[in-house]
Amino acid sequence: MSDQTTQPSLVWPKKYNEIPKAVFEMEELWPKELETIFYGEEWHPIVHRAEIPNPGDYKAAELGEMPIFAVHGEDGEIRIFQNTCTHRGTSLITESSGNKKELECPYHRWLFNLQGDLVGCPNSRDYAPGFDRKNFGLATLRIEEFYGLFFVTMSDKTPPLKEYLGKNFYEPLSRILGGDGRLKLIGYQKVMYDCNWKAYCDNDGYHAPLLHKAFALLNWQGGKGVQNVSENGHLSFESELKIPDDITALEDGSILDFKGTETSTGSIVQMQFPVTVYSKHMDMLNIRYAFPKGPKGLEVHYAYFSHEDDDEEMLAHRIRQSSNLLGPCGLISMEDASVFSRIDIGNKTPGNAIFQKGVEDEHKLSFTVKQNDESGNLPRWEHYRKRMGFERSET
Amino acid sequence: MSNLSNEAVSAVENLNRDYISALDTMDMAGWLSCFNQQGSYTFIAEENVRRGLPIAFMLDDCYERLQDRVTQVVDIQIDSTEHYQTRHFTQLMSITEQEKGVIQASFNFSVYYTQKDTNHTKILCVGRYEDTIMIEEGKAQFKHRKAITDTNVLPRYIAYPV
Repeated sequence: MSDQTTQPSLVWPKKYNEIPKAVFEMEELWPKELETIFYGEEWHPIVHRAEIPNPGDYKAAELGEMPIFAVHGEDGEIRIFQNTCTHRGTSLITESSGNKKELECPYHRWLFNLQGDLVGCPNSRDYAPGFDRKNFGLATLRIEEFYGLFFVTMSDKTPPLKEYLGKNFYEPLSRILGGDGRLKLIGYQKVMYDCNWKAYCDNDGYHAPLLHKAFALLNWQGGKGVQNVSENGHLSFESELKIPDDITALEDGSILDFKGTETSTGSIVQMQFPVTVYSKHMDMLNIRYAFPKGPKGLEVHYAYFSHEDDDEEMLAHRIRQSSNLLGPCGLISMEDASVFSRIDIGNKTPGNAIFQKGVEDEHKLSFTVKQNDESGNLPRWEHYRKRMGFERSET
Repeated sequence: MSNLSNEAVSAVENLNRDYISALDTMDMAGWLSCFNQQGSYTFIAEENVRRGLPIAFMLDDCYERLQDRVTQVVDIQIDSTEHYQTRHFTQLMSITEQEKGVIQASFNFSVYYTQKDTNHTKILCVGRYEDTIMIEEGKAQFKHRKAITDTNVLPRYIAYPV
């Protein structure tokens, strides 16, 4: 987190479609990534209000390597604090979620209310002369809300959230968040992926019909679609869904029903820099919070939601569809997980990973990307390169 | 367990043995044959169960879904999985007869996996089964098997049922 972080040495290829494989493997990149990305000028989603709907509900998370937690206050406000007592630093939250009336540090019984104020500290008359209880509230982070989803950033310079995401990103995101943010949590799937965090978020529009055999077997044709990319590395896919009426490969085709009322778009997948994926496939509303565990290993929490207005039939459908199609065991997604770890193995070899599909000029960055191109990932790599201060080779 | 005949306890133990043996030999047809025609299977994180959240890792809530689970493993994802050998270890923790021929049982489980590319062995997940078992003409089959994993964060993606 300091300015003294050593600048790692990595020369970036001249061509915009070439990524040095070493970028997935060099452990010395991680401190710099923490400083310039995770603790830098980026927004990171931490919690949706639906995950902590009642006063006292809390959820633990991490920002880079820093433990934090979100808590629903008595006043209805959601706040995000560093998970540390302001006295000697003991962590205050020890479970991934729960409900507390107040936050007590067990070490010296310092007591904080849900708004983060220090309300009790035993024997304080013997404290150092400069002690003032008002200065020892829990450390907060800069926060913004979008349709019930709360984001944090460590930097004062990060642009306002909507400006940072851009309209092409936040408009589809609002639809993943139910159109009005009135979501209900229906559960989590959590998994460790054995790869560098950048391999996880390097998934593309080219692979989908090729890797996922379920699509072919189910005679599931991709409809018309678009990819929108932004200069700061966010990527948003939208496509129609054309699911055949008769799915002969499955005994129970109802798992693939699309009951939603919006007929225009059945599928939205969004990759927010640095490492969050949002998706709405058919009737599944999904946020994938991702937590890099250093340079190797990424813990992904798939959070699934229903909408407050769902009737019982729709709720049951969302539950069985979400449980079976996505996530670390899902019919249409398990292969992605397999590729993450295989990319990680293969990238221990020298040279560059070279993007092809959709690249019209190797020497220029393009923001025009077709539905099944992989070139949509290149603006993100360029944003990463700049954040990390790597020079592009001249030859 | 006192109200149960030795034959009934044996039938349940044999069913569980057939089940874990099928998984450890990747015999998905054998796995399917452990369920009756009303059978269903759930693999879910303990955290979700504790919080009353219904999302599972696998939710095969009817016999057709069980058949489709077999299709998914055997036909659809066969070439993209990094395969692994499992060893399931189970212990019967409780068994009661709910009504004639309907048994509630609970087993603890631990599942080790040996990844075929690295040959390293790790723990896949640890938890408990909660079962409803029907015994008809001396043969036991699952009406429902619910695998609840204490390992809320899976160490890798999971291709086969637990």
